[in-house]
Amino acid sequence: MRIELHNYDHQTAYDELIGVDRNPRPAARALFEHLWGLDIAELDARRAAVEAAIMTMGITFTVYSDAGNIDRAWPFDIVPRVMSRREWDRIDAGLKQRLTALNLFINDLYNDQKIVRDGVFPAEVLAGSHNFRPQCQGITPRFEVWAHVCGTDLVRDRDGTLYVLEDNLRVPSGVSYMLENRQLMKRLFPELFQATPILPVDDYPTRLYDTLAALSPRPLERPVIAVLTPGIFNSAYFEHSYLAQQMGADLVEGSDLVVAEDDCVYMKTISGLQRVDVIYRRIDDDFLDPEVFRSDSVLGVPGLMRAWRAGKVGIANAPGAGVADDKVVYAFVPKIIRYYLDQEPIIPNVPSYLCMFDDERDYVLSHLDELVVKPANESGGYGMLIGPYASAEERARFAELIRANPRNYMAQPTLSISTAPTLVDHRLEPRHLDLRPFVLQSDQLYATTGGLTRVAMRAGSLVVNSSQGGGSKDTWIVDEEVM
Amino acid sequence: MLSRVAENLYWMTRYLERAENTARLINSTTQVLLDLPRGASFGWDVLLKVAGLDTPFSEHYPQADEESVVRFLIRDEDNPSSLLSSIRYARENSRTFREVLPMEIWERINGLYLYIRDNAIHATQSRSLRYQVLNGVIERRQSIIGLLLGSMSQDVAYQFLKLGRNLERADMTTRIIDANSAVCLPEEAALAVTARERLWMGTLNALSAYQMYRRHIGVHVRTRDVVHYLLKDPLFPRTVHHCLTEIEGCLLRLPSATSALDAVREARSRLTALPLEVLEEVELAEALDAIQADLGAIHNAVAQHYFYLHQQTQTAS
Repeated sequence: MRIELHNYDHQTAYDELIGVDRNPRPAARALFEHLWGLDIAELDARRAAVEAAIMTMGITFTVYSDAGNIDRAWPFDIVPRVMSRREWDRIDAGLKQRLTALNLFINDLYNDQKIVRDGVFPAEVLAGSHNFRPQCQGITPRFEVWAHVCGTDLVRDRDGTLYVLEDNLRVPSGVSYMLENRQLMKRLFPELFQATPILPVDDYPTRLYDTLAALSPRPLERPVIAVLTPGIFNSAYFEHSYLAQQMGADLVEGSDLVVAEDDCVYMKTISGLQRVDVIYRRIDDDFLDPEVFRSDSVLGVPGLMRAWRAGKVGIANAPGAGVADDKVVYAFVPKIIRYYLDQEPIIPNVPSYLCMFDDERDYVLSHLDELVVKPANESGGYGMLIGPYASAEERARFAELIRANPRNYMAQPTLSISTAPTLVDHRLEPRHLDLRPFVLQSDQLYATTGGLTRVAMRAGSLVVNSSQGGGSKDTWIVDEEVM
Repeated sequence: MLSRVAENLYWMTRYLERAENTARLINSTTQVLLDLPRGASFGWDVLLKVAGLDTPFSEHYPQADEESVVRFLIRDEDNPSSLLSSIRYARENSRTFREVLPMEIWERINGLYLYIRDNAIHATQSRSLRYQVLNGVIERRQSIIGLLLGSMSQDVAYQFLKLGRNLERADMTTRIIDANSAVCLPEEAALAVTARERLWMGTLNALSAYQMYRRHIGVHVRTRDVVHYLLKDPLFPRTVHHCLTEIEGCLLRLPSATSALDAVREARSRLTALPLEVLEEVELAEALDAIQADLGAIHNAVAQHYFYLHQQTQTAS
C-alpha cells in the first residue's frame, strides 16, 4: 500500500510538511519523493527497527508514578519535521537576540536593577518571584552571563507565525534526544541523508564543552568539567550521562563533591581529592547548596555557593538564573529586548494576559473557556488549564486559584498549534507539535540547528511533554538553495 | 576517576563474571549428571554451597531438587546472586558510568539484560532449553569482554573492570573445584575412579579449560593434575595463579596501593607453596577456603584504598 496524502486532514491547523493543496511544502518535497517510493509496510518495518534500536541503545526517560519509577523507551516518530534554512536563519538570529537580552536582564536584576528604576519592569513582579535568589545579589559572573544553556519552546499558529511559548533557563532538558533522534534517522534512512542537504546537529556537545570551559577560573587547556546530576532516578538521568559521555566530562552526584577550606570544589577520586573548575549542574537552585538554600537537600554540595561567590568554580546555569524563567516575566520579554538592545523582537511572544493586573485578570476570568492558564513557575506542562477542553468544575477551580494568587498566573489564547504527518496505525495522521531549540552563551553565542521537535502522539492532543505521553521527531533544517 | 565510579565499575564486572560462572556451573553440572555411573549420586544442593547460597535458598524452598535449585540460581529475584539479579544489577550499575565506557558497551550490557529477562523463564522449562539460554548468556558476556578488549583504552576505568573480573573469577574457580568434593562416589573402586574422572572433565568443561588442559597437561584427568592446573597454571586465564598475576598488573597501573599489592603477592606466594601433590580431600577443602580468604583480603585492601572516600559519604548520610 502506497503512502497517500489525499485523506490527510490537518483541519484548520498549519501543517509543517503539507500545504493546503495537500502537496508537500518545498522543503519537504525530497522527503516525500522518497517516502512515495516506499510502501506503508516498509515504513512499519523501519519503525519496528527503530524501536528495537531505542531499546538496545537504552534511550529512556523516567516517569514518576505511584507504582515507582518506570524507565520508558523514548517514543519516536520516524517522519521528520522539516524546515527551510531560510526560515531557520531568522529564528536563529531571534533566539540569540532573546538570550542576550535575558542575560542582560538577569545581571541587571541582581545588580543595579535599572530596568525596575526606569519603570519598565514592575517591582511587584520581582517581589513576587519565586526564582529570584537574594543570595545572588551583587554577583557578576564571567561575561555577565547567567543563563548559559537555554531551551526555548517555539510553536506555530494557524497563520504560520512562529511564537516563543516559553524560555527554559533553569535546567532545560531534551538536547540528548535531539542528538539521538538524528542518529536513529541516519541508521534508518541513510539514503535520504545522501540525497538531501540536511544541516548537521552533532556539534552541540563540542559547543557545550566550549561554553562551559570558558567559565573555568583556572586558565587550563583542559579544565575539569563535571556534570552534576541528582542521580539515576531523575527523569533526565539518561541525558546527564549522555552529555557527560559526549563531552568527556565527569558525571558526578552531590556526594562526590566537597568544598574545602580554600573555597575550591573537589571531586572524591581514587587518588584523593581533585579540583573541579566548572560544574554543569542539572539540579535546581533549591537543592544546590544546603548551607544556602534548602537545608534538607541531600542532592547538593554544602559550600557550593561560597565557592561560586569566591570565583573558585564556574556554575552553569548560574544560581538564580531561573528568575527569568517565569511565565509572568515571560510576558515582559519583548519590553526587555527593546530596553537592553534597542531592537524589535525577531520572534514574537504569544499574546499574554497577566492576572496580577486587574483589567487583564477580569478578561481572563470571563474568558476561561477560550484561554490556556499557566502557573508562573511550573514546568513539564503540570498545573495548566486548557480552557476549551476543561470541565466547568475545573474552570471554577482555576478561577479560585487565580483570585487567591493572581501574581502566580498568566493566560494566553489557545493557539491552534501546527501539525506534521506522523505514522499512526499504518497511515500518516496529523499530530500537534512544538520545537525546542537550545541556545548557548558564554564568550560566544550558539543555537542548535533546529532543535527537539516534540509531538503529541494522541489525536487532537496539544500536550507534547514526554512526562505526559508526548513523543519526538527528528528535525531537519534543509538548505533549499543547494537542492 | 571518582571513587564512586571506580567502585561501581569493579562491582559491575564482578556481577557479570558471577553471572557467567553461574551459567557455566549449571551447564557443566547438567552434563556431568548425564554421565555419572550407577551408584554415584549428586545433590543439587552442592551448587548452592558452591555459591554460598544454601541459607537464603532454604528460606524460600522446602527442598533442593533440580527444578528449585535451577530456578533459584537463574531467575529468582529474591536471590541477589541469581543470573537475572546479577545481570540486572550490572546493568543498573553501568548506567551510572556510561560516560567512561565505549558507547556500544552499554548497548551490549542492556542487550544481555533484555535477553535474560525474556528468556530466564525458558531456562527453567527443560534441560535442553536451559543449555541454550545459559550458552546465550555466556556468549553475550564474552562479546562484552571482547568489545572492551578491542575498543576501550586500557585506562584507569579499564583496570577496575579487569580487577573485578579477575577477583570474581579466581574466587569462582576455587568454588567450582570445591563443588566436586561434595559428590558421593560409588563404593567399587574402579567405578569410583571413572566417576571422579567424569567429574573433573565436567569441571574443566565448565571453565572452557578441557582442550587447553589436554594440550598442556595430558589426556588423563586425575584429581591432582586438574587441581594443580586450575590453581597454579600461570597461562590459562581462569586459574587462580593467572588471575592473581592479572590483578597485580592492574594494581601496578593504578595510583599506588601498597597494601593491595602486598595482599596479592602474599596470596600468590602462599598458593605457590601449597603442596597439592599430597593433599587429602579435607585438606584440599581447607586450602580452598584459605585461598578464598586471601582473595577477600585483596578485595578489602582495594576497597580501603580506592573506594574509601565514597564509602565515607555513604556512612555519613
